[in-house]
Amino acid sequence: MSCESNRFSWRMIWWAIASALLTIVVAVLNRAGVIPPSLRAVAALAPVVIMVGFFVGMARYLRSIDEMQRLMHLEALLFQFAGTALLVMGFGALAKAGVVPNLPASEAMPYLWIVAFLLWGIGLALVRRRYQ
Amino acid sequence: MNNRLRVLRAERGWSQADLAGRLQVSRQTVNAIETGKYDPSLPLAFSIADVFGQRIEEIFDPNGGKPHG
Repeated sequence: MSCESNRFSWRMIWWAIASALLTIVVAVLNRAGVIPPSLRAVAALAPVVIMVGFFVGMARYLRSIDEMQRLMHLEALLFQFAGTALLVMGFGALAKAGVVPNLPASEAMPYLWIVAFLLWGIGLALVRRRYQ
Repeated sequence: MNNRLRVLRAERGWSQADLAGRLQVSRQTVNAIETGKYDPSLPLAFSIADVFGQRIEEIFDPNGGKPHG
């Protein structure tokens, strides 16, 4: 993995950690009843806004890398997109059939993000092997 | 598509990292082109030809080493 790629990975991890920490802080403050009702929506969306930095960083990185690396990321993102879509569809069908619990969206969404990022990483590792 | 990248690079005593630096691509990309796992775009092929001072067709063989005709 190149230095630029390493720097990108760490920057992305820091953005994700910042968003996760803010989610925890907002949840704690919410539970303590410190956040006034008028600011509840703003507080709830704060971690989402932080993730804008993540995607801006990702777009900048994709513009800075060479054509083959860009192709690799495109293939990895396709792997992630397909994997996430199939997982969501599969879980939804199983939940409807009563095989797995029907999770509310507010509980399932954070896990969906984790799965999506994991699939991106797995996709990138698989694609890298092909071009090595 | 076959190419003479590895030979031309060796003639000049350059490492993959040296060539990658001259082409402003990653070392992994140079390696993938040399091993025929990735075919460069036309702009990159022109850059490669420029770096070695040769024409594109002198470096890349579109027939992949198969006999012509």
